[in-house]
Amino acid sequence: MHTVYSRINNVSAMLSTCVMVLLAAISISSYFLVADPKGSIAVSSIQVFPGNARRYANKNQDFAFVNFNVTADLSPLFNWNTKQLFLYVSAEYENKRGVKNEVVIWDRIVRRKEDAQLSVAGRNKYAFRELSTSFKGAAPAHYTLKYNVMPYVGVLTYGEAARTADPVPFPERQELS
Amino acid sequence: MATYVQQLLEGKIDFEGQKLVERISRDTLIAATAISFIAGFATQSLRVTFGLFALFVIVLSAAVIPPWPMYNRHPVKWLPVKESKAE
Repeated sequence: MHTVYSRINNVSAMLSTCVMVLLAAISISSYFLVADPKGSIAVSSIQVFPGNARRYANKNQDFAFVNFNVTADLSPLFNWNTKQLFLYVSAEYENKRGVKNEVVIWDRIVRRKEDAQLSVAGRNKYAFRELSTSFKGAAPAHYTLKYNVMPYVGVLTYGEAARTADPVPFPERQELS
Repeated sequence: MATYVQQLLEGKIDFEGQKLVERISRDTLIAATAISFIAGFATQSLRVTFGLFALFVIVLSAAVIPPWPMYNRHPVKWLPVKESKAE
């Protein structure tokens, strides 16, 4: 403490401890700021077509095309420790062989609270195909809107904002004319 | 001149001053942590938290790091020089 350098050392040592305590307190505060917003999701149309994924060029497989409507107000998820939200729509179903599948068909990143009022008429952003090449015999699928809260400090939290009331069956494959 | 610059850079303070600096820096940092957390939580803004905390740290550094005269008010009183026998 007698020279400038030892005083800088002393202050910065105490400072780093205080910063750690502050960051820990902020991350713990997220556990007390819980929100469980609910929205709705509905599938407006679903069609299945045969196709050819470029990656598996010698394999013909089914592609599902899903149109859905999502409405949700996720602004309660924004508190002081929320950096952004990752939203995704996934289809949950059991295929013919009884394997449980969860396929993400759409996603969005919400960076601001003002953008958290969700009203989307969307379709699947990512190719929705079945690993066994065919949706034939697959059980009806539930479509869910899920979110992942990304904080500035602390742990990621997951939640489900909406789920289709009744499972939606896959239609028969249509042939391309 | 060189010794003057060196003294300025060293910035020595006395023992009472060292005790005071220790107490001020510890108390201020703990208070700054608590106040900035509460203020940020109340306004729901991390910008407020870290802005306020940074402000506290800058003010504290200015108050504590240079050898201000208030830290040199109790200079050490040395004993008078003894007559040496050799003289």
